[in-house]
Amino acid sequence: MSEQSGPLTDEIRALIGKTAERLPASPPWGIEREGLRIFTNSIMDPDPRYWDDEFAKTTKFGGIITPPIYVSYIGRKTPAGAEDPISRAFRENPESDGIGGVRDQGRQPGALPPIPTPLKRVLNAGNEIELRSYPKLGDCIFSQARYADIKGRIGKDGSPMLIVTTETIYTNQDGEVLCILRASGFRR
Amino acid sequence: MTTADELRNKKQTYFDDVTIGQDMPPLVIGPMTPTHLFRWSAAIENWHRIHYDQSYAIYHEGLPNILGQGSWKQSILPRYLKDLCLPDGWPWKVSFQHRAMIVPGDTITVWAQVKGKRKVDGLGFVEMDVGMRIQPDTETCPGTATIVLPIRGGRAIPYPFVPPEGA
Repeated sequence: MSEQSGPLTDEIRALIGKTAERLPASPPWGIEREGLRIFTNSIMDPDPRYWDDEFAKTTKFGGIITPPIYVSYIGRKTPAGAEDPISRAFRENPESDGIGGVRDQGRQPGALPPIPTPLKRVLNAGNEIELRSYPKLGDCIFSQARYADIKGRIGKDGSPMLIVTTETIYTNQDGEVLCILRASGFRR
Repeated sequence: MTTADELRNKKQTYFDDVTIGQDMPPLVIGPMTPTHLFRWSAAIENWHRIHYDQSYAIYHEGLPNILGQGSWKQSILPRYLKDLCLPDGWPWKVSFQHRAMIVPGDTITVWAQVKGKRKVDGLGFVEMDVGMRIQPDTETCPGTATIVLPIRGGRAIPYPFVPPEGA
C-alpha cells in the first residue's frame, strides 16, 4: 500500500477525535443470565464463574461475572417492538449483505456520525482490548465512542481504502470503567 | 477444550514461574463447523451473510467459504488470557490483527509465548506474543498481550485493576 491519502478528504479528516454521546449499551434490566449463557456457550467457555453462584461467591470477584468483551455486544441487539431491520434491509436492497442497512450507524441516536465515503465494504482490521473489571449480573452498561484515527490508503491494485480506528469506553451504572476497546476496520 | 472443573480448580501461575521464551499452555478449539459460526452470528445478532450463507459467500463475494467472525476471534483471545491468569491474575491488555481467514474445518490453537517480564509497583507484568493458529501452520490472529501475575509473597493484584504508573 502507498502512503497517499487517497480517499481521506478534509471532511473525513475533521471527524478524527469526534466523540459520541455516552449511551446505554445494555437493555434497561442490565446483564442477565440467559444472554450470558448464550454468549459464553458461543465462545465455548464453561467457566463456572459465569454460572455457578456458590462457587462465584468464593472467588475474588464475589459473584457471577461476565466476559468483559460481552459488554460490546449486548447493546447491538434489536430491541423488542422495533421495526425488523432485516426485513427493512432486504426491502431496500434485495441483495443486501445482511449488514448494510441492518446496522446503519447514522440511524442510531447518539452514535458516531457516518463517514462520508462511497467506500461501503467493511472488513475488520484489528483490535486492542484493555480490561479493568469484569461486568456483573445486573450491571447496566454504557458506552462512549470516538474516532481515534482515520487513515487513507491506495492499495497495490490502485483501489482506495480507509482505515478507521474507533475507541469505545465501556462503563457500568457507577461510572466504573470495565473495558476499553479500540477497533480498526478497512473501508473499501 | 478446557472443562468447567479444570477452571474451577485451576492453580495460580505466579510471575516467578514463567520464563522468557516459555510457551504457555495452548487452548485448542475445533474443528469449526458452519453451526459454530451460525451460533455466534445469532448470539450477537450479526447478520452479515458471509458468516452463514455459503452461496452468498462463494458466488456473490468470491470467498472460499463462509468465514469465521473477527468478533468471535476477539472474544476468544481474552477468554484464553483469562484462563491463563486464573484465579488471581489479571488479563490486562491484548492487541491483534486479523490475517488468515478461519473457515469450517479449521482447528484453532490459541497460544502465547512469554517475551518479557517486569515488576512494577509490586506487580508482575508479563509480555507475550499471542495468536490463533490453524492447521498446519497458519497464523490467523497475531498479536501481543500483557497479563499481570502475582509475585510469590507479594501483594495481591488490585481489583478492579488500575494500571500503576509506569506499567
